Amino acid sequence: AQSVTIKFSHVVAPDTPKGKGAQKFKELAEKYTEGAVLVEVYPNSQLYKDKEELEALQLGAVQMLAPSLAKFGPLGVQQFELFDLPYLMADYDDLRKITDGEIGQELLGLLDPKGIKGLAYWDNGFKIMSANSPIESTDDFLGLKMRIQSSKILEAQMLALDAVPQVLPFSEVYQALQTGVVDGTENPPSNMFTQKMHEVQKHATLSNHGYLGYAVIVNKAFWDGLDPAIREQLDRAMEESTIYANSIAREENEWAMAEMVKAGYTTFHELTEDERAEWIARLRPVHDEMASRIGADLIAKAHGVLGIE
Amino acid sequence: MFLRILDRFEEVLISVLMAAAVILIFVAVFHRFSIGYAADLVRYARANEMPELQSWARSVYSSINSIKLTWAQEACIYLFVWMAKFGAAYGVRIGIHVGVDMVVLKLDAKWQRIVTIIAMSGGILFTAILVWIGTTFVYHVGVGGQISADLEMPMWIVYLAVPLGSALMCFRFIQALHLYVTTGQIVHHEHGHVDGMDDAPAPANGGAAK
Amino acid sequence: MTALIIFAILTLLLATSMPVSIALGLTVFSFLYFFTSIPMDSIALKLFTGIEKFEIMAIPFFILAGNFLTHGGVAKRMIAFATSMVGHWHGGMGLAAVVACALFAAISGSSPATVMAVGSIMIPAMVKMGYPPQFAVGPVAAAGGLGILIPPSIVMVMYAVATSGMMATGPDGEVVFSPSIGQIFIAGVVPGLILAAMYAATTVWRAWKNGYPRLPRAGWGERFAAFRKSIWGLLLIVIIMGGIYGGIFTPTEAAAVSAVYAFVIAVFVYKDIRMRDVPKVLLTSAAMSAMLLYIITNAVMFAFILTSEQIPQHMSDWIVSLGFGKIGFLLMVNIMLLVIGMVMEPSAIILIMAPILYPIAVKLGIDPVHFGIILIVNMEIGLATPPVGLNLYVGSAISKLGLTEVSKSVVPWLLTALVFLMMITYIPEITLFLPRLMGM
Ligand code: NA
Ligand code: NA
Repeated sequence: AQSVTIKFSHVVAPDTPKGKGAQKFKELAEKYTEGAVLVEVYPNSQLYKDKEELEALQLGAVQMLAPSLAKFGPLGVQQFELFDLPYLMADYDDLRKITDGEIGQELLGLLDPKGIKGLAYWDNGFKIMSANSPIESTDDFLGLKMRIQSSKILEAQMLALDAVPQVLPFSEVYQALQTGVVDGTENPPSNMFTQKMHEVQKHATLSNHGYLGYAVIVNKAFWDGLDPAIREQLDRAMEESTIYANSIAREENEWAMAEMVKAGYTTFHELTEDERAEWIARLRPVHDEMASRIGADLIAKAHGVLGIE
Repeated sequence: MFLRILDRFEEVLISVLMAAAVILIFVAVFHRFSIGYAADLVRYARANEMPELQSWARSVYSSINSIKLTWAQEACIYLFVWMAKFGAAYGVRIGIHVGVDMVVLKLDAKWQRIVTIIAMSGGILFTAILVWIGTTFVYHVGVGGQISADLEMPMWIVYLAVPLGSALMCFRFIQALHLYVTTGQIVHHEHGHVDGMDDAPAPANGGAAK
Repeated sequence: MTALIIFAILTLLLATSMPVSIALGLTVFSFLYFFTSIPMDSIALKLFTGIEKFEIMAIPFFILAGNFLTHGGVAKRMIAFATSMVGHWHGGMGLAAVVACALFAAISGSSPATVMAVGSIMIPAMVKMGYPPQFAVGPVAAAGGLGILIPPSIVMVMYAVATSGMMATGPDGEVVFSPSIGQIFIAGVVPGLILAAMYAATTVWRAWKNGYPRLPRAGWGERFAAFRKSIWGLLLIVIIMGGIYGGIFTPTEAAAVSAVYAFVIAVFVYKDIRMRDVPKVLLTSAAMSAMLLYIITNAVMFAFILTSEQIPQHMSDWIVSLGFGKIGFLLMVNIMLLVIGMVMEPSAIILIMAPILYPIAVKLGIDPVHFGIILIVNMEIGLATPPVGLNLYVGSAISKLGLTEVSKSVVPWLLTALVFLMMITYIPEITLFLPRLMGM
C-alpha cells in the first residue's frame, strides 16, 4: 500500500509526558499499520511555535498536534474554556467524567467545522498556586501580580482573588519571578519543576484549583481521506498512547512534587478543609461570570455530571 | 497629488503606530506600578487596624485593578506588525534597506546597470509574491474565524497588514526601478546623518551612503 | 547538498546588492519552488507570525529611545562630564571619547548611534585641539561598538530572539534552555567595562607615543558641575538596569519606559528637541525599526527552511564528528564570523547564524550566555571592519575622511578588540561571573 506520513508537531521537550506520548503513538501507529503509516515527531517547536501550529494544521502543513486546551478559544470554540474554570473538577475521577463522557466528545465535535478532528485528551495535570509570600487564605492574594497565559477565564479567576493578572511570554516568566516583576503564577507541579520556577518561588499552595491539558487533533480532511482500515489501527494506537501519556503525566507530577520538596526552595502548603471551602467560595462565582462566554447550558451540564449544585 | 497624499499617509501612519505603542506600554507599566502602591496601602491599613483607611484604599485598589490592561502587550505587538509592514514600504522610498554592494561596484557600467535592475526587480518579485500569498492567507484565516487571544479581534484584520503593506512596498520598488532606469539614481539612506543636531557637520557623500 | 544549494542561492542574490531581507525571502521562495514540493502556503504563516513576539518589540523601543538621546543633547553633557574626569591624561580628549562612548552605550542599544552621538561632538573638538583627524576618528569608531556589548543592546535582543524557545541538548543529552534577554544583558556588563578599559589604555598609549595634547586638570567643583548637568542621562542607566533587575519591569517594558524618559529629558529638561521635531524623530525611528523587523521576518522564514531540511542538525552532527572540541569550534566560529562580519550587518548575521551555531555550541557544552557574548563581540568588531562597517561609515561622514583612511585609523583599537575577543572566548568566567553572582 501507498505509505502515509503524519507530521506530529509539538512545542515541548521530547522527555515530557506529551513528548513521550507522541513518541509512543509513533511506535504503535507504525507497528499496527505495519509500516503503512510513517509518523515523524517534531518536538520543541522545531517547525511551528505555539501561536502558529493551529493555523499550520488547518493549512495542512502538519497533520497532528497536541495543543493546550486553552488554544481553542481563540480558534472560535470558546466552549473549551470550560476546562479553565477554577474548581470545576476536583480530581482525576471528575476529570475523566468530563473527558471520557458526553461533554468531552461534544467539545471535540465542535472542532469539525474548523477543519479539525479531535482524537483524544492528554493530561498535563492540576495546577497549584505559587508566590513569594504565603498564599493560604484567599485574602493573601490582594495586590499580588500573578502571571497567567492569555485567557479571559484565568484573568477573571485572578481578579476574583483580588490579584493582578499579568500576561507574560513564557520565556520571560522565570526572570520575571526572580526579579519580582510578577509575584507568582499557577502551574502543574511538573511544569513548575522543569521550568525551575520553584527556585524563585518561596511559597506554593497545593490548591489543585484548575486543570491544564491538551487535545490531540488531526487535520480533518487528511484523517477522513485515510483508508478506513488504517484509520482503525491509528485509533487503536491513539487509545493506547492516551492511556500511557496520562499515566506518565500523573507520575511526572508526583515525581516533580517530591523533587521540589527535596530541593527545599519552596514551602508547600496543604489547604485545610476550611481554607479549601473558602477558596471554592471565592472562585466558584467565576463560573457564573463566564457563563455568557462558555455557555450556561454547558456549564450546567458539567455541574450536573460532577454533582456541583 | 495622489502620490503626495500617499507619501504623507505612510509617514503619519507609521509615526502614529510607533507613538501609540510606546504610550500604551508605558501606561500599562504605570498601571501595574500604581496597583502595587494601592495594595501596599490596603495591607498597611489592615496591619495597623485603620478600618476607614482600609476601606478607602481598598476601593481605590479595586477601581485601579478593574481597569484591565492584560491586552496591552498583544496590542503593542499588532501595532508594531503594522508599523513594520508599512514602514518597510516607506523604507524602500528612503533607501534604508541595506544590501551588499561590493560586487556590483566592481563591475563595469553596463553590467552594473543590468545587475542593479535585477536586484530591484527581485524586490518587486518578492513583494508581489507576498501580496498573492498574503491575500490567500488572510482569506483562509477569515474563513477559519480565528480571533486574537487577548483583544479577541479577528485575526484576518491583523494579518491584512501583510498584503496591504507588501502591495505598497511593491509599488515603492517599481518607483525606485523607474527612477533608476530613467535617471540612474538610487536613493540611499544616510546613516551618518542626524537631523536637528547642530554640532554635526554636514554628512559627506561617498562613504556615508549605504 | 541541500545546504549548499540554499547558501549558493543566498550568496548569488546578495551579490546583486539587493536588500538582505529581500535576498533571504527570495532564497526561501526559489528553493521551495525549484527544489521541493512543499507548498508555499505552509511557510506563508511565518511571514505573519515571525515577529509576533513581545520580546522583539524591545527593538523599536530602544531605537526610539536612542534617537531621542542622540538628538537630545544627552551625549553632549556626558562628554563634558567624561572630559572633566579624564581629560588631563595623555590623549585626554580621545580618552574622554572612549569613556563617553562607554557611558552612552549604557543607555543606547546601538553602536552606530553611539558613534554618531559621541563622534559628532568629539571628533571636530579633537581636530580643533590639534589632533590629526586620522587619530581622532579611530577610538570613537571602535569604542562606539560598545553600544551593543554594554546593555541595553539591540543585537543582544536579536540573539535572545533568534535562539528563543530552542531547547538544545547538551553534551550529556540534557535539555539546555535558551537564554533570556535579561541574562544576556547582565552578562555584557563586565566584558563591556573590560573592553572599554582596554580601548582607553590603547588610546593613552597611542597618544603618549605621538605626544598628543592633554587638557588642563579640571577641579572637583568643575567635575561636580559637569556631573550634575549630565545626571539626567546617567539616571537612565539606573532606570534601565535597576528597573529590570529590581523587578519593576521586563526588558521590553524597560525599553518602552526609556523611550518615554528620553523623550521627556530631550524635550522638557534639556530642551534640545522642540515639540514640533518629535514627529520627525518618530518617523526616523519607525523606518529604522521597520527595516530591522523586516529582516527578522524573512530571517525567521529562512531559519524555518533550514530547520525543516534538518540542516542545523546535520551540520551539528558533522562538526561534532570532526572532533574539534570546544576550543577548535570556537576558533572556527570566530574566524567565520569575522569574515562574514566584514560584509554583512550584525542583525542579519545573528539572525541567520545563531540558529545554526547555537545547537552545536550547546552540544559541545558551551554556556548559551557565554556563546551569545562571543557572537556579540564578533559583531562589534565587524561594525568597524571594511568594506561594510556602519561605525566606519558614520566616522567617515563626521570626519570627512575616506573609508580607507578611517579603516586605517581604527587599526590599533581593532587589534585591541581581537585580543579581547580571544580573552572572552577562552575565559568564560569573564562573561559568566556576574550572572552567576546574581543567581541567574
Ligand atoms: Na548599549
Ligand atoms: Na564589517
